Amino acid sequence: MFLNRAEGLALALPAALFTFLVFLVPVGILLSVAFQSGGSWSLQGYVDFFAQPLNQTVFLRTLKLGILVAGTSAVIGYLAAFCIVNLPPSSRGRIFGLVVLPLMISPVARTYAWIVILGRTGIVNDVITGLGLSDTPIRLLFTETAVFIGLLQLFLPLMIISLVSSMENIPKDVVPAARVLGASWFQVFFRVILPLTKEGLVIGGTLVFTGALTAYITPAILGGSKVLMLETLLYQKVNFSNDFVSASVIAMILIVMCFSANLALKRLASAKG
Amino acid sequence: MSRLSIWLILGATLTFLIGPFLIVIFAGLSAGEALAFPPQGLSLKWYAKVFTVESFRASFALSMFLAIFGTIAALIIGIPAAYALNRYDLPGAETIRTIVAAPIIVPGIIVGLALLRYFVVPLDVTITMALFVTHTALVLPYAVRVVSSSLNNLRADMEEAAVVLGCTRFQAFTKVVLPNIRGGILAAFILGFVTSFNEVPASLFLSGPGVRTLPIDMLSYMEITFDPSVAALSALLAFMSVAIVFAAERLLGFSRYV
Repeated sequence: MFLNRAEGLALALPAALFTFLVFLVPVGILLSVAFQSGGSWSLQGYVDFFAQPLNQTVFLRTLKLGILVAGTSAVIGYLAAFCIVNLPPSSRGRIFGLVVLPLMISPVARTYAWIVILGRTGIVNDVITGLGLSDTPIRLLFTETAVFIGLLQLFLPLMIISLVSSMENIPKDVVPAARVLGASWFQVFFRVILPLTKEGLVIGGTLVFTGALTAYITPAILGGSKVLMLETLLYQKVNFSNDFVSASVIAMILIVMCFSANLALKRLASAKG
Repeated sequence: MSRLSIWLILGATLTFLIGPFLIVIFAGLSAGEALAFPPQGLSLKWYAKVFTVESFRASFALSMFLAIFGTIAALIIGIPAAYALNRYDLPGAETIRTIVAAPIIVPGIIVGLALLRYFVVPLDVTITMALFVTHTALVLPYAVRVVSSSLNNLRADMEEAAVVLGCTRFQAFTKVVLPNIRGGILAAFILGFVTSFNEVPASLFLSGPGVRTLPIDMLSYMEITFDPSVAALSALLAFMSVAIVFAAERLLGFSRYV
């Protein structure tokens, strides 16, 4: 530890000032726009925003998809993480690498894949028309299901990584011990594994939930203007109707949702279970 | 759990995570005109076409510029900050940490809009400059975090010894600290590069006609043209990212730092 505080501050301040001036100040001004109408402070922007049925639908859909994606990825994540931890060490690293790999690939490329699969001339429709289940291609793109699948694929690795790193800390004998003593797999999961991996679940859950809420590319490509989420709605409000008050409201909603998800899950993790 | 069920579960999960991407690689190999899988005949023509599309070349150059110089700029202000936060008893260290980490927490699209309205327009900043500043701010948290964790592993007595033996503080930093955190700095650079290169939401509002990052150019190309060239380009970019990360892992055990 060096005690020269002035020197330390001189080293740290450029980064802090840079982020403060070009980042926090503009974001702060943007958030304050919705609280002002006609020169005085008010909540009118929020009242107007939630009065529109479309905005309500988009808000609830974003929340719903965020919860669904986080929940589903937790279920798949536990299964996959449990399998990975139980692999022999030689193949464990390789399989874990394959789970991490998609994170290095551009989300645009990863989302584009679903157009090839779910599009009018995509694989799924080829199979459906080939089997004679339907004469004409079914619309699979621009549905909530498509957005859900795209988001799940995008964020599932984050959940698996968090769960694997917290499951690795469980002593090897704990699960067999519980089994020997007569616990069913159901009991093993809820009484042994879940309490011991709560932290990983919370970290993974926060990453996936906030990731899904704030994703732009996936709803833009797979949902289009038929299945708007808050991010794509914000883009439309700005680009098509110059509605900066609504944009500011959406920005605040997104930030509040991300922060409260963080807080709520942290509270959940520290609660006795 | 039996071996069979373990491999069934992992097989299904990995197919879901990676399978779609393999399909993209093959869709790009099509000899036909429209995007389809299985491809209608095999050819490399779409992979070749990618290199001839003028807008792809321009946006690739811009994305490369932002990823390289944005990350270097973030490291230039980020390394001293990480060093100060690690080695000095700073007043308000927690506040500084929170401010520097903020760009990770705020959704990208809000960042882009805020900077466009309250930084670019009032100060009359050019689009390229605005993108550069945004990417620097977005990469900075990663730079500070990765360099910090690498500084944590380096004992402070080494610098103190250097100072006692007659180095100035600056020399102690350049001759003792920097060579020892080289790996962490390179890891931070790669993480920053990949983050910046793949970034879309924050750059969305900051892109104008003619000045676009590559992922955004791909998005707008997709809206107009439905041919396999985006599939080919996606595959090429993925190979590039994976090759960089793989090389880094082989050379310096990248994953230790992230």
